[in-house]
Amino acid sequence: MTLPTLHGRAAWVFTEDDYDIDLIVGIKNIKITDINELAAVTMTSYDPDFAQSVNKGDLLVGGQNFGYGHPHYPAMRAMRHLGVAGVIAESFSPGFFRGEISMGFPLITCPGIRAATQRWDTLQVDWERGVVVNQRTGQTLPFEPWSSTERATIEAGGFTPYLKARLARERAAAAAAAA
Amino acid sequence: MTEKILARVAGVPAVRAGDEILARPDFVIAYDFPGYTDVFFKEAKEEFGVDKVPSPERFVLFIDHMVPAAAPKEEELHKITRAWGKEQGVPVHEREGIGHQVSAELGYATPGAFAVHFDGHVSQLGAFGTLAMGARKSVLETFVSERMALVVPGTVKIEVTGTVQPGVMARDIFHHLVRVMGPSSCRFKVVELCGPVIDAMSIEGRQTICGQAMFLGATTMLIAPDAKTLEYAKGRAKIALDPVYPDADAHYDRVVTVDVSNLAPIVVAPPSPANTRDLTEYAGLEVHMGYLGSCASGRLEDLRVAAQVLKGRKIKPGFQLHVVPTSQAIMSQAASEGLISTLVDAGAFISSSSCDYCYGRIATMTDGQRAVSTGTLNTPGRMGSADSEIFICNAAVVAASALEGCITDPRPYLSNTEGSAA
Repeated sequence: MTLPTLHGRAAWVFTEDDYDIDLIVGIKNIKITDINELAAVTMTSYDPDFAQSVNKGDLLVGGQNFGYGHPHYPAMRAMRHLGVAGVIAESFSPGFFRGEISMGFPLITCPGIRAATQRWDTLQVDWERGVVVNQRTGQTLPFEPWSSTERATIEAGGFTPYLKARLARERAAAAAAAA
Repeated sequence: MTEKILARVAGVPAVRAGDEILARPDFVIAYDFPGYTDVFFKEAKEEFGVDKVPSPERFVLFIDHMVPAAAPKEEELHKITRAWGKEQGVPVHEREGIGHQVSAELGYATPGAFAVHFDGHVSQLGAFGTLAMGARKSVLETFVSERMALVVPGTVKIEVTGTVQPGVMARDIFHHLVRVMGPSSCRFKVVELCGPVIDAMSIEGRQTICGQAMFLGATTMLIAPDAKTLEYAKGRAKIALDPVYPDADAHYDRVVTVDVSNLAPIVVAPPSPANTRDLTEYAGLEVHMGYLGSCASGRLEDLRVAAQVLKGRKIKPGFQLHVVPTSQAIMSQAASEGLISTLVDAGAFISSSSCDYCYGRIATMTDGQRAVSTGTLNTPGRMGSADSEIFICNAAVVAASALEGCITDPRPYLSNTEGSAA
């Protein structure tokens, strides 16, 4: 299993610290379950053309403690539907971080990223070197490594497939030990 | 404390912050909610082939949201939850109150225990010395295996000192901590709360503070058990465990002392729980609705202080005051103390315990309305229209604001007595 390629434009730079991601779809919309309907309202209060301007593989950039508050799932569900491949932020709120990693959605903690990025800059996450590269400026910024469970969850594409693989491995090991 | 509790449940002699461990939670707590429990039930069976959860005695479920159901689909979810509990031998507590409170009443807040939930407000069990974490989707892991992977968090120690002024409650103290320390100051850490103010505080006040840990960025919060908590836990505790205390030479990532002597009642202004402000900045601002309840504040001391403010008075015509005791046990006690009739006589609308007021499923606000609330969150739209506003404050402020129809300092209404409930 490999880590996903993260190489795309910064579709939005959230400048606020402690950003409540519910505001991405608007709280009045968080109960919408139809993904097309949800995607249609995404970011409309920031940029009415957001949905049309995002390409598959684009990224989001955030500030400190991104995902503060009660981080419900619809915002990033909608972002994934629009093609957004991950979020790179100064830091994340723990509940949001845990919740989205479990969805198989990569969140990269990268101090300095907000100041170093303008909207539509192309960013590349270099897993080998442990850095985020801004291709417009050439600047590289180190990101914080994941725990082994977090990394394996992203590699597996989410918590359910990760857990399935892990339990199968544990069962196989137990059977081998018993044999 | 955290390392000792996690070492026990990981089955190893010691763990250190940063270690990745497989821990066996003593308790798995959840409430039924679409996309959470229904998915866990389904995935455990269909994806993992697990017909019975391992050690069902560790599990407990609450039906506290969408109570009473307002649509067939909501009741269908509850029906599925009841059936699952019966099939699995897992207790389902329904209409007994908000689960985070009822789980303490039932003894899941065993000092020294490790509990998990998908919802982070479970941290309030930390008031009893229980390490209780919101783990989101990882809770699925406990449905299909005995253990759950996690990284041992570091600890920030917060010592609260000083003299608490009249009219200042636990709620004010918590939001003051957010103000002075910052909403991301304890990210991914456990907060160990201590100090003379906490020692003197009621169990209820401690529950209020611990339950809000996420707004300091913390994974959870806990308080070393003392005589008060051990007395509460005695006879309730679901399992026999030795309480856990911090070592004299315990390592902390940071130790912070916050003096609350000069603290006056605060409000948390929209749009974020990070926005703690002095009440005086907003005094006089017109408000239309009051909500006294939620897992954070709706306990006896909150009801008592509200009754003290409202006794013999009438709330402003047109103002809607909703009072929702956190559990049925609290409702019953409040009734026997005469608090309910005092509140009703003043014009309050009393409801049985439910989570639904906190997120605007009921008592929804429309455009341009404004609430004073003891709920957990003040993000625009949390209690209805995105063009409505929520000011978080303590129960006395809610009651005083209900009398005047604007954000009101409760201290003049409390001045005949001690006032402070913190």
